[in-house]
Amino acid sequence: MARTCAIVGGGLAGLCAHATLRKGGLEPAEIAVFGTDPDPAAVWRVRSAAIRQRRMRSESEGHCAPSSFPGLAVRAAIRGRSPAPLVESLFDRYHPTVGEFLHHVDELRAETGWDESFHAARIERVRAVDGGFEVGGHGVFPHVLLAPGHPGLAWPDGLEDDPRAVHAYEPHEFADTVEIVGAGMAAATEWLNALDAGASVISVRRREPERRPLNLPRVLFSRRGLAGFHRTSSAERVAVLERFGAPSYPAGRSWDEPVEAARRAGRFQVAPELNGAPQVVCATGFEQGFGHDPLLARLVAEHDLETAGGWIVLTPDSTVGPLTDETRTLALAGVPAQWAFPAADTLMGAKYGARRFARKVAAWRTR
Amino acid sequence: MAYTLRGRLESRVAAALAPLVIAFALALALDAWWPVELGVLMLGVGLALDAVYYRLVPYQPGWAAIPLGLLELGIVMSLARALEIEAPQAGALGFFAGSWLLAQALGHAVFPLARLSYGEDGGELGRTGPGAAAAALVVLAAAGGVAWATQPPIVRLPAGVHQGPLVLDFSQQLIGEPGAVVRGGIVVRADDVTIRNVTVIGGNHGIQVDLAEDVLIEDVNVLGAYLDGINVRRSEVTIRDCSVSMVGNEFGQGIDISFTADLEPSLVEDCFLTGGQEGIFLDSVHAMAVDNHVRRTTLRGITVTEMAMATVEGNTVEDGVGIGILCSDYSMCDIRENSISGIRPDHESSDSMREGYGIVSHYYAHTEVDDNDVSRTRHEMGAFSDAYITSH
Repeated sequence: MARTCAIVGGGLAGLCAHATLRKGGLEPAEIAVFGTDPDPAAVWRVRSAAIRQRRMRSESEGHCAPSSFPGLAVRAAIRGRSPAPLVESLFDRYHPTVGEFLHHVDELRAETGWDESFHAARIERVRAVDGGFEVGGHGVFPHVLLAPGHPGLAWPDGLEDDPRAVHAYEPHEFADTVEIVGAGMAAATEWLNALDAGASVISVRRREPERRPLNLPRVLFSRRGLAGFHRTSSAERVAVLERFGAPSYPAGRSWDEPVEAARRAGRFQVAPELNGAPQVVCATGFEQGFGHDPLLARLVAEHDLETAGGWIVLTPDSTVGPLTDETRTLALAGVPAQWAFPAADTLMGAKYGARRFARKVAAWRTR
Repeated sequence: MAYTLRGRLESRVAAALAPLVIAFALALALDAWWPVELGVLMLGVGLALDAVYYRLVPYQPGWAAIPLGLLELGIVMSLARALEIEAPQAGALGFFAGSWLLAQALGHAVFPLARLSYGEDGGELGRTGPGAAAAALVVLAAAGGVAWATQPPIVRLPAGVHQGPLVLDFSQQLIGEPGAVVRGGIVVRADDVTIRNVTVIGGNHGIQVDLAEDVLIEDVNVLGAYLDGINVRRSEVTIRDCSVSMVGNEFGQGIDISFTADLEPSLVEDCFLTGGQEGIFLDSVHAMAVDNHVRRTTLRGITVTEMAMATVEGNTVEDGVGIGILCSDYSMCDIRENSISGIRPDHESSDSMREGYGIVSHYYAHTEVDDNDVSRTRHEMGAFSDAYITSH
């Protein structure tokens, strides 16, 4: 059976794309997934464990299955024989546990034949050729989805080699006093983790974080908000993406009460600069921009692709316009696809790219 | 979900398809068009509200479907009442609830399964959307076509005098043009008959309805009948905006509806009745007499008798003899907001009830009265022979 699709990236965005292609009728043998670990949650598992994440920020639809229904709330309700997850979901208050999410990933991996499609290989070059794209010496594919994930952990200037510093997404324990740099979801989680561990916390941040349930306003997850986003000029879109890249975490008592109690007890304070604590936790996320990803940087350079800020310019359906036509598709999913979908680094974003990629493949197959 | 306007409209129309088909089938099965009328009303209200929701609700959480559904229910039921859609309340509520539940199931489960990007497309259905709209139009066109084809034929009665009696023994609408007169009466012996804009002169009864249901008599003038102006037996009728003159008729009733207690209630509304023994006579019926004007009767203005159940509301009864309004013989009457005046004693009778009463409850009847105005009458009201009157 001819391999028609390649997915470069064996993480969660890759799993979303694989499941969506399978739903579209492709057999596992028609899809080649290139990654470094056969477990699609391998990287995510380590990072979520590092920040001791218990629940997902995403809601019922934050899963990797191709259809939003049944969501994780429905599955939890059936498994637990309780309507509580459904009621919580009605009010956007259902956040699956990390365990539930990983269980779902394992199930989906088995159901979709992921392992049959998986090839252990680090792809360093994708090049447009006649009839498609040559993928790192593994053959030519007419349709390729690049889902390389985050390029690497972001460190504050001067801390990368500081022995006191540890990144939030790396396994760590807490000293008696810890400075936590950053103000997003990971930082907020680490405040609570450190306080739970008995540490005193200094939150090092230069601006107050935004408080919102999801990474972005909800309308930006659908065409209602995306239509306006896609109409922006290049400069406007860069500004929008930079604005939405600012740290945020959800509002709610479960976040605020432990911090407030610690503040009253003198165990939590905010500071604009580091001040010599014995441990510094860098909850500063990931490096931003295609330039930090060797595969994408090479792709841009070799094909002279248009970029803006740190983003590769994509069409609204998340494809690389100059390299996509009726005979071939080059699409991006996950964080490098923010030009098409500003929440591309979420599970919803991964599915956005996957669905449009699958649509392209389906159109090609029926032509 | 953050719906686009197109997404809201497409989802609405697609979700309405099955209810419209069911309504069409129900209409055919029940031989009643209220399911289709209700379905169209629900769809119309929903589409209109979608335009409002789109502006006011950028993101709609799941729980919001409940208050928005209740709002739509209230508007639909109010409009159904205002438009006189004859839907039974339980049936209408059931139809709405079933349609709403189906829409929820479609929106949360079926549409996302059928179209993977349903959510991120803001509820839009792609090529299916216009297809659903076209299918809905086809269903509505089919329903409209069948409704039109099965409507009773319209018989237009030209101006001039037509010799009766006219016997209407199949479903039809008899519509008189200005100046149309039937001499010798009209007899109705079929269901689903409408008589409108006709003057009837003479006949044993001016208009006689026998063993028929869903009969509408509207804008008719009746005069010179030998017995009753309008006589209804074992039938269900709506009589509205009529004029019946029984002046000079010693024994007849203006309108006599009898023996219909096991049928749907009948209604007499906005009629002007003059002369005869009784203006409106309701015997063993479920009925309402509302906003009528009854004058110069020789026995009683309005009578409800023989285990009847009736509401007598907003009528004017004046210048009669003996009794204005009578509730008798185990009947249950709700008599409210009537104006009764000038009821004179019947000097030719030794019956004490006929000494000039506005309202009489007689022989085990139970009469509830409220806010009636009785004037120029010797007795406001009285109860006789183990009957009683309850006043609010």
